[in-house]
Amino acid sequence: MSRKQKPLTAIMITFSLLVASLLFILPIVFCIFTSFKESIEIIKDVTFFPHMWSLVNYDYVFVRGTKYLTYYLNTIIITVSAVTITLLLSSLSGYSFAKLPFKGSKALLGVILFILAFPLAALLIPIYIMEYSLGIINTYLGLILPNLLLILPFSVFIMSGTFIDMSHELEDSAEIDGCNVPQTWWHIMLPLAQNALVVVLVSGFYSVWGEYTISKTLATKDSIMPISVALTLLKSEDWNYGVLAAAITMSIIPPITIFTIFQNNLVEGMTAGAIKG
Amino acid sequence: MQYTIGERRKTKELWGKLFVLPTCIFLFVFVVYPIFYTLILSFCDYNFAFDKKPTLIGFNNFSNMVKDKQFLTALSNTLVFTIFIFTLLIVLSLAFALLLFNKKKNSWFYRTSIFMPIVVPASLICLLFTWMLADNFGIINRFLMNIGLSRYTHNWLTDAKTARWWVIIVSIWGKVGFSTILFLSGIQRISTDIFEAAEIDGAVGWRKLLYIIIPNLSETFVVTGIWAILQCLKLFVTPNVLTKGGPGNATLVLYQNIYNEAFLNFEMGYASSIAFVLTALVMIFALINMKVSRREY
Repeated sequence: MSRKQKPLTAIMITFSLLVASLLFILPIVFCIFTSFKESIEIIKDVTFFPHMWSLVNYDYVFVRGTKYLTYYLNTIIITVSAVTITLLLSSLSGYSFAKLPFKGSKALLGVILFILAFPLAALLIPIYIMEYSLGIINTYLGLILPNLLLILPFSVFIMSGTFIDMSHELEDSAEIDGCNVPQTWWHIMLPLAQNALVVVLVSGFYSVWGEYTISKTLATKDSIMPISVALTLLKSEDWNYGVLAAAITMSIIPPITIFTIFQNNLVEGMTAGAIKG
Repeated sequence: MQYTIGERRKTKELWGKLFVLPTCIFLFVFVVYPIFYTLILSFCDYNFAFDKKPTLIGFNNFSNMVKDKQFLTALSNTLVFTIFIFTLLIVLSLAFALLLFNKKKNSWFYRTSIFMPIVVPASLICLLFTWMLADNFGIINRFLMNIGLSRYTHNWLTDAKTARWWVIIVSIWGKVGFSTILFLSGIQRISTDIFEAAEIDGAVGWRKLLYIIIPNLSETFVVTGIWAILQCLKLFVTPNVLTKGGPGNATLVLYQNIYNEAFLNFEMGYASSIAFVLTALVMIFALINMKVSRREY
């Protein structure tokens, strides 16, 4: 766009964006501030900024409230496992769809695309019954596997989209050098797909980290619940908002940090996936 | 190479199949099998707590649905929420995308703040909003009092009307960033030639938006539309955490209805038939959206 913006237009654009940004940021900042307030200040004074910065809530979460650490650990275990499995499965099958086509592989990719649109509610009932009869309700395994549903189909697209753009020459020369298919995949292709792997990792990370529906259904015991579900069940018994705010702050900081670092890769990758999908 | 070309292709195909095998096994167990199981269950009476086995009852679940007040409320709430959230999502994210596109310098802060809610756990944000909206110590009421608007303070989540609006607002808060990303990249893909030609022809401001930008975004509208419909119809976290479907059944949605029937009442058969209806709704809306967005301009 060659035309220069009028100063008034530029100011209006900036002003609108500023208002919008504040609406998105303020609740999060409020939560962080609340986590540093003592409970009297939270209930009685109700201000935005803390008068006295206090670490009492964090002390409670880390030292006295061991249950919060259990929830946090559950979230970490579920997220790390689900994302690791997804990285492996999607880079394998994405490579296959892009570079090792076989009869029916196109149709198979189409089916996976269709799964993306399927509402989870239709799957959760049979999954619950199945996990119940296998005895893996309220286990890490029983929570990790269904979480793959959220992220695996999208990740397969990202990976196959990336591999398809790579030149055949690399593979051919690797083959001449005596690499078999798994060696080519591991030594030559995967390192080149780093950007896509980052997208899979980051988008998978925040999706599973904040996942609610699956865990709400398949985790009924306190000891196995991830933090995204456990905190919502606490609120009637623990009326200590400062502690809750500290626990919430601790669980929104990791996804926000990772997002801020990888924002550009992620935005590019997500749009590419959405357009190809 | 001692392989013939045919043999080489065969080994490649074999590896291809091996590479997709783990994904396929997983999807079979956790998607294909459950879909068919739901389909069968939706024609069965199966109380998971009392019945040993599902019993076929034909279309009874579906005929019961028509008489079930909970279901009908959930259906109409879901449709109302879908209309509002869908429209607002599309309009707002197009607006944000246009603003970001026209913000020439220093847009990093604005982009980050608008996109950030995507990655924040939705249930925890809803939890946060429940205290911000609380009657006596909520910061929103306190803010209204401090700026002299005490008559507008309200018990936001116990009044059916305002509770509905807050479900809509909080849902949009968490989702609008994603559609903004889609629209922004759609606008960025429109070639600069088109913009320049349009400007020479005198298309600026609203005209540029109506005649240049929107017609060139039809693909983006399809993708964003399908995504938004899915988000609306499977709305669950916001009403579940914010209002628990209440007050009364004011914010009860289909997803919550399915959850209640399946995991509180353990009526797996009936819940499956509602899930079946929800899936059908998703497909119908997605098709309508595709038809509307792909029409010729």
